[in-house]
Amino acid sequence: MYNAPHPLEVRILTRRFGLPNSASIDTYLAHDGYKAIEKALAEMTPDKIIEEVKASALRGRGGAGFPAGLKWSFVPRQSPKPKYIVVNADESEPGTCKDRLLMENDPHQLIEGALIAARAVDAHAGYIYVRGEYRYLIDILDRAIGEAYQRGYLGKNILGSGFDFDLHTHSGAGAYECGEESALLESLEGKRGIPRIRPPFPAVVGAFGCPTVLNNVETFCSVPWIILNGGAAYANLGTRKNGGTRLFCLSGHINRPGVYELPMGFPLPRMIEEVGGGVWKGRKLKAVIPGGSSCPVLKAEETNLPMDFDSLQAAGSMLGSGGVVIIDEDTCMVKAALRIMRFYAHESCGWCIPCREGTMWLGKLLTRFHAGAGTMSDIDLIRELAQNMLGKTFCPLGDAAALPTISIVKKFREEFEEHLNGRKCPHEGKG
Amino acid sequence: MASKVQEIIGAASAIAKGMSVTLGEMLSPTITEGYPDEPVRFEQRYRGLHVLERDENGLEKCVACFLCAAACPSNCIYIEAAENTAQQRISAGERYAAVYNIDYNRCIFCGYCVEACPTDAITHGHGFELASYDTASLVYRKERLLAPRP
Amino acid sequence: MPELVKLTIDGKEIEVPAGTLVINAARQVGIEIPAFCYYEGLALQAACRMCLVEVEKAPKLLTACTLPVAKDMIVRTETPQVAAARKGMLEFLLANHPLDCPVCDKGGECELQDMTFRYGAGESRFSEEKQHIEEQQWSPVVFFDRPRCILCFRCVRICNEGMGVAALGVINRGARSEIAPNKGDHLECDECGMCIDICPVGALTSGIYRYKTRPWEMEYAGTICTHCADGCKTTLSVRNGRVIRGNNRDHSGINGEFLCVKGRYAFDFLEHPERLHQPLVRRGVELQHASWKEAVALVAAKFNEVRERGGAFGVIGSARTTNEENFYLQKFARSWLNTNNIDHRRSGDVVALLDALAGLPGSLATTADVYHAGAVLIVGADLAQQHPLLSFQVRANVRHHGARVYVVHPHPQREDKVAAQVVRARGLAGIGQIREKLAGEQSLVVLFGEHIQGADVRRLVEMLPATARYVALVDYANSRGALDMGLLPDLLPGYQPAPAPGLSLQEMVGASLDVLWVVGANPLQGRARASGFLVVQELFLTETARQADVVFPAAAAYEKTGSFTNVCGEVQRLKKGPAVAGPKTDLEIMGLLARQMGHELAPPLPEAVFEEIRRSVAGYNIPYATFVTGAASATQYPNGPIARQGSSELIRSARDTLFTSGTLGRYCSVLNSVRERDLVRVEE
Repeated sequence: MYNAPHPLEVRILTRRFGLPNSASIDTYLAHDGYKAIEKALAEMTPDKIIEEVKASALRGRGGAGFPAGLKWSFVPRQSPKPKYIVVNADESEPGTCKDRLLMENDPHQLIEGALIAARAVDAHAGYIYVRGEYRYLIDILDRAIGEAYQRGYLGKNILGSGFDFDLHTHSGAGAYECGEESALLESLEGKRGIPRIRPPFPAVVGAFGCPTVLNNVETFCSVPWIILNGGAAYANLGTRKNGGTRLFCLSGHINRPGVYELPMGFPLPRMIEEVGGGVWKGRKLKAVIPGGSSCPVLKAEETNLPMDFDSLQAAGSMLGSGGVVIIDEDTCMVKAALRIMRFYAHESCGWCIPCREGTMWLGKLLTRFHAGAGTMSDIDLIRELAQNMLGKTFCPLGDAAALPTISIVKKFREEFEEHLNGRKCPHEGKG
Repeated sequence: MASKVQEIIGAASAIAKGMSVTLGEMLSPTITEGYPDEPVRFEQRYRGLHVLERDENGLEKCVACFLCAAACPSNCIYIEAAENTAQQRISAGERYAAVYNIDYNRCIFCGYCVEACPTDAITHGHGFELASYDTASLVYRKERLLAPRP
Repeated sequence: MPELVKLTIDGKEIEVPAGTLVINAARQVGIEIPAFCYYEGLALQAACRMCLVEVEKAPKLLTACTLPVAKDMIVRTETPQVAAARKGMLEFLLANHPLDCPVCDKGGECELQDMTFRYGAGESRFSEEKQHIEEQQWSPVVFFDRPRCILCFRCVRICNEGMGVAALGVINRGARSEIAPNKGDHLECDECGMCIDICPVGALTSGIYRYKTRPWEMEYAGTICTHCADGCKTTLSVRNGRVIRGNNRDHSGINGEFLCVKGRYAFDFLEHPERLHQPLVRRGVELQHASWKEAVALVAAKFNEVRERGGAFGVIGSARTTNEENFYLQKFARSWLNTNNIDHRRSGDVVALLDALAGLPGSLATTADVYHAGAVLIVGADLAQQHPLLSFQVRANVRHHGARVYVVHPHPQREDKVAAQVVRARGLAGIGQIREKLAGEQSLVVLFGEHIQGADVRRLVEMLPATARYVALVDYANSRGALDMGLLPDLLPGYQPAPAPGLSLQEMVGASLDVLWVVGANPLQGRARASGFLVVQELFLTETARQADVVFPAAAAYEKTGSFTNVCGEVQRLKKGPAVAGPKTDLEIMGLLARQMGHELAPPLPEAVFEEIRRSVAGYNIPYATFVTGAASATQYPNGPIARQGSSELIRSARDTLFTSGTLGRYCSVLNSVRERDLVRVEE
């Protein structure tokens, strides 16, 4: 799974990748491991930790990009209830595969990150909610957690500081929906993985009705470096408001697919050409999905962008979870839209009407359309139905299904027209 | 003399003119209905006695939705519904009309029931012989309204 | 009182308490925001997305059903954007919804139909095939049609939150999500039909009403359920003189949306084949049909003969006949038959409670109090089985107001699930264990069963705070009214002492009286008659009627007008549902007897008798307007000591479950068909 690092990478989170036994605590300790929590416990107040994370401009790596330090500061200090740390390791976005590498190659970095967050908000228990399909990672994490308990980095009175923290792994059952934070919490509590009404947000009412810090694996993994090297140093790695580095998952029609740690704001064309080695088979670029399948696609001519949250938003797309999918000129965009919609129809939790019915009927429509049985009015119907879903669903899953569909219909309308009147898909068999 | 001739010619032409109408009509096809000796011809859309139609399999089209009864301005349709079973299938839908009465004492042949029917089960036939000495006999039951099996 | 918040909805300024949801705030100014999944009183859902509204400064449309009002909020509910969203949602809903409205039992009262008419999307733009799934029958009374289901989850929530049964759930996900019963392919539950009632479409339909008729073909009569003592309003739907269904869709009455299996389905005894339609007279050994004239003449002559020679009468009344009939009966017995031998089957010691509450005015709890009280103590009663409405009220109270519930019962109860504390002990001893806790409850409602009677009732009242309010649980629809109306050997109506106490029910059935007159009761179950002449007014040939000399066929409560007093002492009006040919109401029968005997008692008209009750029975001077409009009026109790003269009295509940209803229940085939035999019983 792990690919050779590229010289352009800035290796912060992945710096221990490739070391022998990189998942073991000994390797971790030999390379700055658990130094950050020592520092946090010995020298820093909880407020100072949060200040440092705020200063780092670290934004949530799960997709929404909410500033992490701000999220932590929402946890009510005076609440008499216990507080929880929940690690969102339900990585299911098509195109995104970074968290598994982080957990596979450097699980202690995640444990330390969670520990620091726990210290910051005074939580004494945490859960790593691992995607059901990542079963093997639970073994790796459990082993690492066991080591951490043995060496006194978890459990009672950590490093003699009087601070207690227990960490547990929890397996999901293979539902994309449970990557949504409130659905994840429901699932963690043993209920159907269905999102909750918000507000209240998890920082106030989260796991088991208690204040909860819930972040992505990559977010937690960034924290130890920030604590050791200072928030400002981390922020300086990226652009303004977009601190640090990010693990980009290059996939699709590219010569060197893989996960690369690059500073935020790294230009997309360079990412494709220099880091990824260009579009495969010498073909031309048609489109890019810049942040996992739920982002609106960018046409080749729109891709001259720095990869950070704000630039992509300005371009009408999203940085999302870092899954950069390269689409070459021989790809049928109708089929791409269909493929994406099938995924969402399969993963819709069924809670709210627009998502449940919209994804299914759009899937049916696109299937028929791709088979050549579409009419001109169907093109607008596809777009209208997606528009009817957009912003009206209970959770962002509906938007995730609607956004790429709308963008594909809008930007590649001529490809839809090529499918009309029973014509065979022009890209069929070119793969 | 001339006036006599003129008179005769005038009278003859008058007779000929008169007879031309008569003879002309004699030769043209008759429009008088021969009822009751002959069957009556109807325009296609004549609204006569209702017919409860059957589908191509001989099942009753009526699913006892009561919409005809609801549409009826003279309140002359009475229905009782029942459920089809695997053993006894009367209509193609889940339910059928166990009782379907039309009270022809009240029916005004407005056709609203036909318009309301979602399954095209009730139509106007061309039956019109509705005279009776006994009003009770004017309540037609389903058996009398049903179209014959195909 | 929470502070008021000012906001604007569709240009109308309105002030509502903080925390009010926008959907409810809008209703207050007459703006209807459509919704399927929102149901007042149940958990919020925001699943149907019909209630999306525009809120100024919000980036996208928000669901009015989850949005609390905020200061100076500006809401618009009828903009083109909102209309488009609603239409879009309906299009999604209708995409897979079968167009079988003509054969759907919900047709005509379907929320989806109404919304489609109002917001459009009637034309389908899809040419793909709909997903068909065969209809399933989950119980004798519940049918489920998956394609019609819009997954609003109302049924799941009412079953779980409202009923505390949790027999319904959701399986699968996405477009394949479906509602599923607890036993895989069938339901094991209360069979209350709440899920059917609450379903906005025809997904859950009633097996009783199935394909019978359509809603606009029926006439509706809102009357009071004849079974348990809770006094739920049930609306009988009548077509051609037959009751087709019962429900409470308009949520009128003290029960709101609630009805249990009996209130909803157990009206079929009216058409039971064994129902009596003609008087019976014993000729030789056999009971034979007779005319009303003959039967009335026979009984009147016998009564007059015994009366004139000063013979002994015994009169046994019913807990299911109306207040008017009970009042008339005791008046007949006392003023014309010159006897105080009058009683009925007693199932809770209301008299002892009223006596113990002397000097504590306002200490009887109403049905609403059970919902509003800060705490509820349940002693020795299986509420969920015997008093389903009160049980529903308790759960609603916990959900909405966080009430503390204390359960004192030797066996597990459904209320345990919502209880703050459960004491597995009996009666006063059990209360003793939590006495300190109860002492701190400022607003306590106490529901106690048959086991606390006599002197124990006084002890109970003395143990608990003076502010506590009480309900003495009794069995049947007018058990409480029968006591109030003086169907007691030692007490006149209004609990006034009778000059000389008569025989109790137990004494009467054993005594060799000259005449025993039984009105709507079955006291000779399992025993032979001891009296000389037995007259019975009944619906069926019960064990008692079989031994009678004359049996009059009586009308059921659903076929009468009159009034019932429920377990909480609230008077409600009965409205006549179907007309019945043959049987007469007990009041009419008594009137006929009185006239035949040459004694004009009072006109045997419910209205006239009720007027007399209002005038003469203490506590029944309720506002007439409230009564005629069908609302419940709480009666007052004497608030003074009640002089008891009776010695032996047996107070014992019949221990009916949700699926039994005394002798009457045996003739309800629906109850018998849904009965969960092995699962349900009321523990002592």
